[in-house]
Amino acid sequence: MKNDRFERWLHNIYTTRDEEILCSECFDLVSHFVEVELSGADSLAKLSNVKQHLDQCPACRAEYETLRDLQRLENEGKLPSVDDLQDLIH
Amino acid sequence: MTKERTNQEWLHDLKASGPTQEAAIVDLRDLLLRAALYFFSRNLSDFAGNNSDEISQRAEDCAQDALIAVMDHLSDFRGDSKFSTWAYKFAINIALMAARRERWKGVSLDELASSGESDFLEVKLQDHSDGAAPEASAMQSEVRKVIQDVIKNDLTDKQRHVISMMVFNEVPMDEVVRHLGTNRNAVYKMLHDARRKIKSSLQERGFDVGEMLSLFGTSG
Repeated sequence: MKNDRFERWLHNIYTTRDEEILCSECFDLVSHFVEVELSGADSLAKLSNVKQHLDQCPACRAEYETLRDLQRLENEGKLPSVDDLQDLIH
Repeated sequence: MTKERTNQEWLHDLKASGPTQEAAIVDLRDLLLRAALYFFSRNLSDFAGNNSDEISQRAEDCAQDALIAVMDHLSDFRGDSKFSTWAYKFAINIALMAARRERWKGVSLDELASSGESDFLEVKLQDHSDGAAPEASAMQSEVRKVIQDVIKNDLTDKQRHVISMMVFNEVPMDEVVRHLGTNRNAVYKMLHDARRKIKSSLQERGFDVGEMLSLFGTSG
């Protein structure tokens, strides 16, 4: 196991909480989390359990990062069309 | 061109009947297809063996599945985000599972996990801290030894199995879920319980959190 992966895992071990939300709860809350994050509101701290889960769970994190970036594009009026996106995979 | 709608208009139109609902469903499907294509465009390495038509078709399938999921969960929408943000997550979730499945198809997780379990204590956790100062290197080795002991003696077979796949072999969560015939929550819980046991053992042996993270160059 390479050092960087081991360090990452060690970080996950040490930031473990006794109580953590599960993936289904994270899924329920992540759209609100993204909305709050992109609005710059200071209420993000109230969603620290979501942030903690995203730090621990690579699957939920990958979904969150995609959702955040997609929503940011939509907010900026830059959401790519289906044709634009199909060009990207060609 | 997708019609701009407020959250209330989305809910109203999707629950309506006739042309109003049909138009809303067409627009929603367009958004979900964009979300699936967007995810795939960021994860093209998962589709190394596929041509672009196959990837497009896969995105269409994901959008269709996501449309069904969104319609099934309309009553769960609480209005604490834009409707589109809420809907996108269904498409992204389904697209991620499809992409990871494509990447890992043909890989025997039974073989991978069993080989990982037989050697991870010796190989996977071996010390790579060649460049560290002697004192730090010794402490790093000690931390690794504690973790090895906990994995070997204190974890359940299932926890060890999941750690072997996800931590040591980097198998994606959803492939582990599929392999075990369970769900994300159950796998996350197994990992969480394992992390708690390891953390507790390290703390009982007097390893300080901040000291450990800085020792391994991890600031968080």
